[in-house]
Amino acid sequence: MRKIYFASFCLLFFLQAASAQQGNVKLFSVNFQQATISQVVNEIESKSDYHFYYDPAQFDSLRVTVKVTKKPLSMILDQAFKKTAFVYAIDQQQVFITKNRQIRTELAPGYSLRHSEQTSGAAAVTDYTAEAEKKVTEATTENKLYEIGVKTNTIKAGKAILSGYIRDIKSGEAVTGATIYVSNTKTGAASDQFGYYSITLPRGRQTLLIRGLGMKDTRRQIILYTDGKLNIEMQEQINSLKEVKISGEKVANVRSTDLGLARLDIKNIKQIPTAFGEADVLKVVLTLPGVTSVGEATTGFNVRGGAADENLILLDGNTIYNPAHFFGFFAAFNPDIVKDIELYKSSIPEKFGGRLSSVLDITNREGNKKKFTGSAGIGLLTSRLNVEGPIVKDKTSFIFGGRTTYSDWLLKLLPESYKHSQASFYDFNLGISHQVNEKNNIYLSGYLSQDKFKLNSDTAYKYSNKNLNLKWKHNFNNKLYNLLSAGIDRYQYDVSSSANPVNAYDLGFNVTQSNFKSDFTYYLNNKHTLNFGLNSILYKINPGTFEPNGPKSLINPDVIAPEKGLESAIYLGDKYDVTDNLTISAGVRLNMYNYLGPATVNNYAPNLPKEPNNVLDSTRYPNGKFIKTYFGPDIRLSARYLLSDNLSVKAGYNTLHQYLHLLSNSTSISPTDVYQLTDVNVKPETGDQVSLGLFKNAQNNTIEMSVEVYYKRLRNYLDYKSGAVLLLNHHIEQDVINTQGKAYGAEFLVKKTAGKLNGWMSYTYSRTFLKQDDPYAGEFINGGKYYPANYDKPHAFNFNGNYRFTHRYSISFDISYSTGRPITLPIAKYEYAGSERVLYSDRNLYRIPDYFRSDFSIIIEGNHRVHQLTHNSWTIGVYNLTGRQNAYSTFFTEQSGVISGYKLSIFAAPIPFINYNIRF
Amino acid sequence: MRHWKIYLAILLLGLACRKPYNPHVINSPKSYLVVEGVINTNDTTTIKLSRTVNLSAHVTSNPVDGVVSVESDAGEAYELTPTGGGVYKLINTTLSNSHKYRLYIRTADNGNEYRSDFAPVKNSPPIDSIGFKITSKGLQLYLNAHDNADATRYYRFDYWETWRFHSQYASGWKSNGVDDVVVRPFDEEIYYCFQSDRSSSIILGSTAKLKQDVLYQLPITEIESTSEKIETKYSIQVRQYALTPEAYKFWENLKKNTEQLGSIFDAEPTQLAGNIHNIKDNTDVVIGYISVGSVAVKRVFIANDQLPADWLPAYPYDCLLDSAWYSHPKTKVNDVRVKLVPGIEIPVTSYGKGIKPDGYTAADKQCVDCTIRGTTKQPDFWK
Repeated sequence: MRKIYFASFCLLFFLQAASAQQGNVKLFSVNFQQATISQVVNEIESKSDYHFYYDPAQFDSLRVTVKVTKKPLSMILDQAFKKTAFVYAIDQQQVFITKNRQIRTELAPGYSLRHSEQTSGAAAVTDYTAEAEKKVTEATTENKLYEIGVKTNTIKAGKAILSGYIRDIKSGEAVTGATIYVSNTKTGAASDQFGYYSITLPRGRQTLLIRGLGMKDTRRQIILYTDGKLNIEMQEQINSLKEVKISGEKVANVRSTDLGLARLDIKNIKQIPTAFGEADVLKVVLTLPGVTSVGEATTGFNVRGGAADENLILLDGNTIYNPAHFFGFFAAFNPDIVKDIELYKSSIPEKFGGRLSSVLDITNREGNKKKFTGSAGIGLLTSRLNVEGPIVKDKTSFIFGGRTTYSDWLLKLLPESYKHSQASFYDFNLGISHQVNEKNNIYLSGYLSQDKFKLNSDTAYKYSNKNLNLKWKHNFNNKLYNLLSAGIDRYQYDVSSSANPVNAYDLGFNVTQSNFKSDFTYYLNNKHTLNFGLNSILYKINPGTFEPNGPKSLINPDVIAPEKGLESAIYLGDKYDVTDNLTISAGVRLNMYNYLGPATVNNYAPNLPKEPNNVLDSTRYPNGKFIKTYFGPDIRLSARYLLSDNLSVKAGYNTLHQYLHLLSNSTSISPTDVYQLTDVNVKPETGDQVSLGLFKNAQNNTIEMSVEVYYKRLRNYLDYKSGAVLLLNHHIEQDVINTQGKAYGAEFLVKKTAGKLNGWMSYTYSRTFLKQDDPYAGEFINGGKYYPANYDKPHAFNFNGNYRFTHRYSISFDISYSTGRPITLPIAKYEYAGSERVLYSDRNLYRIPDYFRSDFSIIIEGNHRVHQLTHNSWTIGVYNLTGRQNAYSTFFTEQSGVISGYKLSIFAAPIPFINYNIRF
Repeated sequence: MRHWKIYLAILLLGLACRKPYNPHVINSPKSYLVVEGVINTNDTTTIKLSRTVNLSAHVTSNPVDGVVSVESDAGEAYELTPTGGGVYKLINTTLSNSHKYRLYIRTADNGNEYRSDFAPVKNSPPIDSIGFKITSKGLQLYLNAHDNADATRYYRFDYWETWRFHSQYASGWKSNGVDDVVVRPFDEEIYYCFQSDRSSSIILGSTAKLKQDVLYQLPITEIESTSEKIETKYSIQVRQYALTPEAYKFWENLKKNTEQLGSIFDAEPTQLAGNIHNIKDNTDVVIGYISVGSVAVKRVFIANDQLPADWLPAYPYDCLLDSAWYSHPKTKVNDVRVKLVPGIEIPVTSYGKGIKPDGYTAADKQCVDCTIRGTTKQPDFWK
């Protein structure tokens, strides 16, 4: 009780009955309907000599409905405060109203102000009105009882909606994916990327259990009167001996409707040893069941049989086109900035679209809203620094991270012929979050990366990601909020050569997308949560400008006409809790794609291969013209049925469309591949997937187990013809062919999420086949039969374990095994053009030897005194402990006229690494 | 353009490694016809027929007998003459530029018939010059050519290189084959020899992206500074072929598939679609691409005195001079008879004060006799 006001204001409320004397007790006749405390007080004070003392702030949500005739004050107050925490004390002409604790007006024991006597003439009428509060309760304490909503003297049966933000108590940052639920009901809610949650609960006293990724479990005790808000602050879990979580949602494994969803926070990511010691988001993704890649040095990953360009990689909502540095040896994501990642392999929320196989949603941290902090890391090849802090305390914060490499020293150690190589990269992240008011938040996030390399040739390469977006989150009310975002994503590369003055050239390529999104979430009631909104992306691709470099160059400038396309979608999804045991998520996303002018489009003779001699004519379309429109509905369906508290079965079906294609004629994605828009002659890719899973938690939700099976179809995946030149190709449709694919598999996963020993283990059986039998393509691959895709690895086993000895020491160990990927091998040799040469088999008929690798690392934390200038930690480890020379590829090549077979291995020896990290 | 990928593979040697790899024997059940050659419209046309062999086979050459003829779209046919080893020639025949030509093949063993697609005559412009650059590694030979009509655009090259070299020691003596060593006659000199080799990699040039049809300093081959090829005099004859875009694509693809593999971002091996087909069975694989046109030829010589003086050849064998006595001072063995007469070693110089030498310095055959690696016969073109 901070202040006590003396209140005496003019009368606002109409008073009917006159006051009368009954003995020396003054009697009142009042009729309060939804009256505020000040109305009540004013009324009574005007009719008597009573003076009221109270804190208006405590009563701002109290509404009093009392109708009595000729009753003493005590009786009016008894009725007004019935079933609330308010109490009163009357001392002659002074009335003290307080909360919970009564003011004693005299010392005499046995004196009681509280009468339970009720008069027949006055029936208490209570009503409930949801009213916006001026202040949201900040709940930071577990043992305190928080009152939510408009306090009333009686609690009506039924349910009410509780919403608010879950934040980190230290930094004020949103906690994403925290679950909040009441232990005795089966429904729960999870916080979104802004930490916002909304949950429908029975009214009355409840204990909320809150669990967050990397946060300490906590609980809150509430009394829920009406709809209301509660912000919950959680504590970060620091070096806990007992628990390190792999997933924040312990019960979500069983209770959510999600299939094929993996959620990892940066702590888990940092435990996994990597080749150069720096935590790597993408390498961790590769340890998840259902994810494969063609080899060690690749930026691409393949999810459930999808090609590497079928993954939507989002960094705070920005689409990242090239997620790697240095040819795939480093992920483009700064581990000091990343908060957590979510990989959707099967149940892809309606709000995402545009890619066939998966969504990798990477969320960066928000800056610390309370104080300035930072961290730095030093590794053998890279260093990084990040700073964060409040701009306006508790309202506006920033986070900034940068990384760079100094790998040139390594290149200098190489023999003379490679000394002149250079390779470098940098990346920057900037995030600003601003709370305008309780209902409006603004977030700005930017990303910039650049790679440059020149490998002892005269040709210099450069590629860059540039991303910026602005999000505005607006809460209409407890039930409805909207996220509006607009942004620009750009990827560009540039190749230039100057050694031969006549042939010196400069080649440029870029793809730019402008996004607009409006996503609504509506907590309709305790059974339905609706998601709806619209997305729109305008693509602009400059597929190649080839220009002379230098005055002597004879290069003929060549510009491939820019392409424009507009991808739009509206969607609606409903999560419907049919019963406690059955939940269905159903949604539809209506996609529309327009190929836009200006463009000159070749018209080909129908039913003939798209070849130069089958071009009938070409049509020129003006700027902005809708040249070709494709419609396609996506269905997103999943359901969960609880067989018991710890066991559920889930099923899902979804369809997807993809309008942007990546054309690569190398096995792995290389930085200079070509993006191609769907147009008149290139069809959109489509895919669908059906999956079924069994999920079980054991040992108090500390062990999670799941088995998932899936079957997936891919249509119109773009492959290329033999010997196709993809770059600077004016008629790319003549060199690409549509491929159909099918993939199926079973994924087994066991996770231990708590305890000194934690980690996960997975086994996946999966197959992926492609088929190219389009009679109009002009050629068949493998005679039009199904052949295994490059990343078809039937058996994959992964183990990731971490063991904490003490607060300061922990070790991590991991193993990965997989079947060797398919390759095309020579089957015969012959002499031609002065050399032995080889003839290759049909595509992918053979396999390279199986892959096996184990890694080990020790993490040593500095001392844990809280008050010190800096906190340090060391990561020391060995990548590829056994030094197995895993084949990356095999190849047969002519050396002085004779054919020899070779096996190329990357990281073919144990690679030790060390990394020093510092936080300040 | 793809070069960086190969460099990268090697660059990562510290991390990456390249090891021989021989998978369990993969054998194709079939053997496919291979056709190599160009229909030369103003000189001799040479076509070579062979078949593929299994990867494990020790001998790659697998010649094919049959009938080969050049057919024109005007109905003319010129039969080629077999010259052995699967090689067929049409000597000094000039073909009209206004027709299209194709090759007809009937193999002798199974009677299969093959034809190439009709191809237009594409004549090669002359080679302007062949030059060289001194680099840190050695000699970089390059070529300049152009077509004023801007019509050629796609080029292919191959070459024959010939060089004069010498053995480590000049021998003035030889075994008489019976019982003694005699003075080596001039016409049995084995110090200087000539050796030849043909190009083994595919050399392509394209000016398709240039304003003018100009090939400027197109790399042909490299010679290491320590190579014997340039220890006295070196000659290279480059043949330049003009290609159609389709033919260029075939050669580029063949090069990618068989020469440019082994990096991290490798292109996958692809099918080789040539322009020769089995007339009756279009699923039969035939390797090769037949182009038609004239061939431009140019020869240059590079003498050692044009090159840096500090470039010293590295002899391919370890050589030491031995001594062979008629009577060894210690053992009294007649080394000349034991070692030199049967040719175990070859005498180099004599020693001793008398008319009859006391013995000879001698060395292993590969250190003295250049004919084991070349021929002493000077080629006709040598100058």
